[in-house]
Amino acid sequence: MGGVNKSMKFLVVDDFSTMRRIIKNLLHDLGYSDVTEADDGTTALPMLQQGEFDFLITDWNMPGMQGLDLLKAVRADARLSGIPVLMLTAESKREQIVEAAQAGVNGYVIKPFTATVLKDKIDKILDARSKAGAA
Amino acid sequence: MSDADTLKSRYGELVLSMSVALEAGKDDAFGAALDRIMHLREKSVYAELRRLTTHLHGALERFRLDSRLVDIAEREVPGARHRLDHVLKLTNGAAHRTMDLVEVSCPIAERISKSASELSGMWAQARQRDRDATLTDLRAMLERTEEFLSATRSDSDTLRTNLGQVLMAQDFQDLTGQIIRNVMSLVAELESTLGELVRLAGDTDPTRAAPLAQRGHGPAVPGLDNGAVVSEQKDVDSLLSGLGL
Repeated sequence: MGGVNKSMKFLVVDDFSTMRRIIKNLLHDLGYSDVTEADDGTTALPMLQQGEFDFLITDWNMPGMQGLDLLKAVRADARLSGIPVLMLTAESKREQIVEAAQAGVNGYVIKPFTATVLKDKIDKILDARSKAGAA
Repeated sequence: MSDADTLKSRYGELVLSMSVALEAGKDDAFGAALDRIMHLREKSVYAELRRLTTHLHGALERFRLDSRLVDIAEREVPGARHRLDHVLKLTNGAAHRTMDLVEVSCPIAERISKSASELSGMWAQARQRDRDATLTDLRAMLERTEEFLSATRSDSDTLRTNLGQVLMAQDFQDLTGQIIRNVMSLVAELESTLGELVRLAGDTDPTRAAPLAQRGHGPAVPGLDNGAVVSEQKDVDSLLSGLGL
């Protein structure tokens, strides 16, 4: 599999449809074509619980359930706790980044971001996963 | 009613019964009348205390609203102006970036189209004079076709890259949307604080908009959010690697 499985199922959570579209397009460019969208944590959580997703990309600041709460809910759910989570957000206070790390985030990208940074972080997370899986 | 009358109507009967009891040496009756007088005095002291407490509460509430208003006027309104200015800069930048890319891309698309029609023309001509076409002619046309295909491949790659950058230039909308929501929340709070002041002033009870929930800090705004904010992805990476991530 070479560490990268292009049939992975992504869930992209952001309250702005423009940003979801950008992320979806970038994922397509990277070869990931199975991408689903949700507009906040409240809609994302049941989708995660039913949809067998392989990767979660979420914003922090959203109406309804925020990204950090979604991350905590995912880590607290035995069936979801292993899913890689990448936080993609404009929230850039040091204490927030530390808080996300403590809640178990796998990667943190601040907006505005570049296509290269997104690819880099996804690759890094998947790479670490496949190494951990092989070990 | 004069003061003397008020005093008489409130205490006259009690004082009389006290003096009667005093004359008669009736300890119990004297004590009972005295108790009732003291009770009357206490009641008026409590009423006065209640009145003072209500006043104090109102004054404190107005003071709280006043200081919040001063804070909004002195700090948050200029901050909001700064944030909206940042929105202008972001949208302006994105619009220019998009237009730059479109201006670079259009001539490329035109060039592909022009070369393609020239080439089709050449092939159409060659088919017309079919048998007269020499091997040299054909070789020249093959070369032109090869050149065209190779140029088209690289031009399409450039167009694809430019379109990708046009897409990325739209990311401003997410950031500006969040900043505008922040300012809207401030405006809502200002509205509700002013409404509260009007209500305390007494005469009307204006309908108040509930302040929008402000969650997270939103995008960092240059000149406003410094200090504890990281400005670049590499700062995030080094912070996270410090935490073993």
